[in-house]
Order: sequence, then C-alpha cells, then structure tokens
Amino acid sequence: MFRLFKKKPVPKPRKRKVVARKPKKLVRKKLIKPEAAPKRVAPIRRGDGVKALFEPMGVMIVGASGAKAGTAPVLFRSAVDNMLCTYKGKTYIIDLSGKMEGAFKDVKKVRGKAELAVFALSQDLALKNVKKVADAGVRAMVVSPSYGQEQRGELLEAKKQGVRVLGPNSAMGVMNTRTGLCTSMEREMMPKQGGIAIVSQSNSVGAAVLDLACLHGIGVSKFVSLGDGIDVDEADLIKYFSDDNATRVICVGIGDVRNGRKLVDALRAAAEKKPVVVLRAGIARLEDKIYDAAFKQACAIRVQDVEEMLDVANALAKQPPMAGDKIVIISNAHGPAVLAADAMHREGLTLAKLDEKTVKGISQRYPDIDVANPIELGMEAKAKQYELVLKNVLADPNVDGVMVINMLKSSLLDVDDMRAIAEVLKKFKKPVVDVAMGGESYVLVHDVLKDTNVPAYDSPERASRALKALRMYGLIKERKAPPVSKAAKKPKAARKR
Amino acid sequence: MVAKKNVLEFISLIKAQKRRELLEFEAKNLISIWGIPTTRAELAHDVSEAVKLAREIKYPVVLKVASPDIIHKSDVRGVKIGLSSELDVKHAFEEIMANVRANKPNANVLGVTVQEYLPPAREVVIGMIHDKTFGPTVMFGLGGVWVDVMKDVNFRLAPLTREDALEMISEVKGYALLLGTRGSPPADIEALADIIQKVGQLAVEVPEIVEIDLNPVFVFDKDKGAIAVDARIVLRGG
Repeated sequence: MFRLFKKKPVPKPRKRKVVARKPKKLVRKKLIKPEAAPKRVAPIRRGDGVKALFEPMGVMIVGASGAKAGTAPVLFRSAVDNMLCTYKGKTYIIDLSGKMEGAFKDVKKVRGKAELAVFALSQDLALKNVKKVADAGVRAMVVSPSYGQEQRGELLEAKKQGVRVLGPNSAMGVMNTRTGLCTSMEREMMPKQGGIAIVSQSNSVGAAVLDLACLHGIGVSKFVSLGDGIDVDEADLIKYFSDDNATRVICVGIGDVRNGRKLVDALRAAAEKKPVVVLRAGIARLEDKIYDAAFKQACAIRVQDVEEMLDVANALAKQPPMAGDKIVIISNAHGPAVLAADAMHREGLTLAKLDEKTVKGISQRYPDIDVANPIELGMEAKAKQYELVLKNVLADPNVDGVMVINMLKSSLLDVDDMRAIAEVLKKFKKPVVDVAMGGESYVLVHDVLKDTNVPAYDSPERASRALKALRMYGLIKERKAPPVSKAAKKPKAARKR
Repeated sequence: MVAKKNVLEFISLIKAQKRRELLEFEAKNLISIWGIPTTRAELAHDVSEAVKLAREIKYPVVLKVASPDIIHKSDVRGVKIGLSSELDVKHAFEEIMANVRANKPNANVLGVTVQEYLPPAREVVIGMIHDKTFGPTVMFGLGGVWVDVMKDVNFRLAPLTREDALEMISEVKGYALLLGTRGSPPADIEALADIIQKVGQLAVEVPEIVEIDLNPVFVFDKDKGAIAVDARIVLRGG
C-alpha cells in the first residue's frame, strides 16, 4: 500500500531531479563567484531577526567540507544541496576548509550580503566564527551543534550585536516552502506549499511531522526546529507566524518551556488571528496539569500525537470554524456510518436533527434514501445522490458540520464520483470532512481531494477529531479573549526587588 | 486598592519579625482583608483571654494551638472543636497545652486561637502556588480523600476570568458531588468561583505571597455561600 501511496498521489518529479543532478554544475550556476563580489562593504542593517530567519535577503552557509566525520560535514553538504536546489534567493557558501569549488573561504568576503547565517560546523569551529559572522552583518543565525551551559553564553555574545540566535541544536533548521529556503540537515524534506506553520522543539519530531506532511501532500508554509531555544523561543516564533500571511494554522510541538507567561501571551494573541495547535510531551507529570490549564486559558487546541496534530491542522487550514456541535453523517454504507456516530459521541459532538424541508427535499427526489441521521444513501449511490443530499443538508440551519463517508469498496461508487462531490463542497461555507475508510480506497480518494478544500481521512475517528477541533476553534472565536495577562512580568520584577 | 495597601502593611509586619509563614489567624485576617470569607479567628495568650474571646465570638467555638513551629495542629492533638461553654473552653485550653507539651515539647507556643465553629459541610480545597514556568497558579480540588488519594485537582493561571474559575471547578472528577445528587441540593458554586478569582487576584497584586492553602473551604448549599475554615500563607523568602 505504501509503495503505491508514495508513488501515485505524491509524485515529486522535482525530487528525482535533485538526486540525478550533477552537483558541480548547479553550484556553478547558482553561486555568486568570489571574484564577482563587490569590494565595497555594504551597509549593515539590523531589524527583525525572527523575520530574517524565514525571509532573509541572502543566506550564508558556513561549513568546513574538510572536517573529520561527524554530523557537521553531512549537514553542511545537505544544507548546501538543499539551498542550491530549491532556494530562489541568493546563497553564499563559506567553506572554511577552502576545498569546495565556487565557495568563499572567508566570512569577511560576504560582509553585508546575507541576513541569515547557517552554522553547519562542529561545536568549536562554530563558536570561533560566531563573532566573525555577526560582524558580517547578519540578522539571524541558525546554530546546529549543541552546547553546554557555558558555551551557550558565548553564543549569546552575538545577540549583543543585535543578531537573533536560533538553536543551538537546531539541525533541522528553517524552511520556507514559498521561497525554497531550507537549511535542514536532511535532504528532500520540502513539503508542498500550504497554510500550516510548524514549530518543533525537537529535531526528530519536527522531521517526522515534515515526513508525514510530504507523504500525505499536506501543505506547509514554514517550518522551524527550535532546538534549545536559548534566544529565539516558541513565543517569538508564534508571534511571527501569527502575523505571517502565508500561515493559516500554527502547529507547535514542545516539551518544557522556560518562560510560560510569555508563551501564554503569545498563544493568546495568536489565537485571535488564527488557530494554534499544540502538542506537548510529558503528560505523566503533575506539572502537565498546569501546562494544560495554560493552553486552555491561551485558547490553544491541544492534541495528543503527531498524527492528530496534522489531521487537525489540515482541517483548520482548509475549513471554517464550526458554529455548533450538530453534525450530519452522509454515507453510502451502514457499518462505517455507525462507527462514525460512535466517534462523534466520543468527541462530544451530536447528531443534528434535520429540518423538515431538508427531509422533504431529499425524499421527493430519492424516496429510497432513509433520511435520518446518519443519512444512508445505499451502496448503489453515485455522485448525483451525494450532490443532492449535500446541497440540502448544507442549507439546513440545524446542521453545523458534515461528515461525508464514501466507501469505494463494497459499493458502486468510484473515484470519478469524488470529483463531482468535491465540486459541490466548494460552494458551501460549512465545515465538511471526508472519510474513505480503509487503505487503498483512502489513497485513491485522497488523491482526488488533496488539492481541494476538503480534508480526507482514512477513518471516521480521525475525521471526528478534526471536526471537534473545528468546533473548538469556533468556541475560541466566540469567546471574548481575556485581556493579556497582567501577571506576565510580575514574578520577575518581584524577584529583583 | 485600600485592601492592597492593608495587605502590604500586614505583610511588612510579618517580614519585620523575619518570618515567612503566617500563623493561621494571621492568614485568616489577611484573606478577610482581601474580601475572602473566612471563619473569625483571634489569638488568646492565656485562659482568661480565651474565655473572653469565646464569649465575644459566641459559642460554640473552636480552639487551635497557635505556634510558628506547628503546621499540622491536629497531629499534636492541638485542636478542640464544638466547645459550647466557659468550662469547655477552660478545659480545652489546658488539654491543648498539655498535649502540645507532650508531643512537641520544644515548640514556641503563643497561646491558642479562638475561632467560630461551623457545622460540617461539603469540603473543597483552594490553593495558590508560584509555578517555576508559569508563575502564580490557582489550584482547586474537592476536599479530603479527593485531593490526597485521587489527586483530583485542577489548575488555572492567575488572574482568572469568571469563565476560567467555573470551568476549573467543573473539570474535577467529583464535580457531580457539587452539582448535588439524590438527596443533596447543589452547592454554592458561584461562591467558590468568587473565592478562586479573589485568590488569583491576590496572587497577582501581591507577588510577595508565594503560597496560599485554604484547606478546607466549606461550601454550603446554593446561595448560602462558602467560607475558608483553615488558611496557610507563605511569603517570598530572602
């Protein structure tokens, strides 16, 4: 199944090119040759360093190709490859070993040219070059190696020069799907463009989320792995994404945070503009209850795992918030509809009682359809039955959201019918999610729906969680957000006294 | 704001004595300045003072040992409840002193607090801690075994909106006990929300207070109120 899945619905011809390309050629094509760099030193501007992480004017990647084995040289080559293959802006490569063809040997040579610096170096080498890179006028740096407490202080020296530091231990770096920016140590991890921003404290969890997003064709706006977060923290990133036009939903994966109040204030402010989905690890400890309270008060939508995070985010990115909790299930098979009703119940959603007009509208045209809720269309149903029922149901004032179940196996329905259904759904503003229960059927349906505004799921349980999240965001929208907490700075101030 | 000024003055008096932890009657006086309902409690240094205060507070009364060295007063058998006459009070005073001498001979005993006695009611716990990540955080739980055994407590960051407070109460597992079951009417949940919000405000306005423990808080039937029966307050150290 997965073979088929990977090959068929997510064909990435661009990726193939990456593998097959000759690195030297690309390097030559894209690089600004050292001799071509102007001698005159450009003025150094400082500004919003967090913005420079994602939308830099020029990127420098500092590495040492001759370094002994370890992650640093691998990361260096990956980051260089990624940037040269996908980044639409200018990339300046600094190879401190001086071996890579077309690369600069010294940071000084690109002074004032790049706003973002990526340290693809070993611990020691990176520390040695922090000042040089800061002097070269960058606004932000991505630091991939990890450091102990003392060395972190040295890293923060750069901050005194107005440079924002991401990391250390940010090996997955930053991504911007619109510009192709990708400083990751992993290759071919660029998901398609879309509305979901991902903040991950952990490199690996972040990588897993990206991997899933690529597999399922879920659109991502930007990605960042936070690492140890000694300077740029979750709150800074949430604030940036809440103002970012390309981002519709913010996903945050965290463990422990340092400044809880700053996080709460950032989450709360962001929730007024767009939904924020939070995954936090560490539920067994008592303090998680306080985190949980904080997320509730900050109007964030908390999820249990990575899969749910993407399920929920995908729905929130594509569908409007839900105004109530009354759902209609439309299905061409009985069993899945019953399981769907159970799943709704589990998530605290209710089955809508249909308006008489709706019932009439459907039974006049199709007397065989049992217009209860779930509405069972029968295994012979085709696109036209779905269309008529959907039109009636979506116009019903008693209905807040719809779950469409289309079983391809055990029925006469086929993939082409899905296209027609997707067309109907485009015209209405009520939340709709689609379920194609199973394996291959899901892959086929997903392939049709992935570029529409209808999120598709392989089980009614996953779809129900998505609907629940749409309802939660509806409730958050209704709730008058409480004023930004007064106690935000008090504990600190009191400590000083 | 008058309340805040009074609370700060109160705290500076305690700090002047180089103490971090308030005695029960001090804690009760402090929260009552802040408008949190609590049982009246006054310090009596000797028997005659205790008798005088008991008459003033009105029988029946409760006597509890007052000592900065004794946190768990029942453990040293330093609490006598339901005292309804002068004789009761005199006996109770002597008994408490004897018990404390036996169980905690080195404790510095100031005397006893004389407090008004309330008939039993549903018990809850309301507290406040300074969390290292989130700062002042209010805790709510049902009293007794619910807190100790079931760990059935809930948190919200201070300050809390009314919605926050009500939501927090509704999230405890034993919430049905407060809503009332067969035979018992609903409890005064609004009064609890009131206390919770006030504890939150106190924590935010007076960051010198780092811990509050109102345990138990008696909650009466709907519209009959709720009242803190024991109180503990800890101030910031150093």
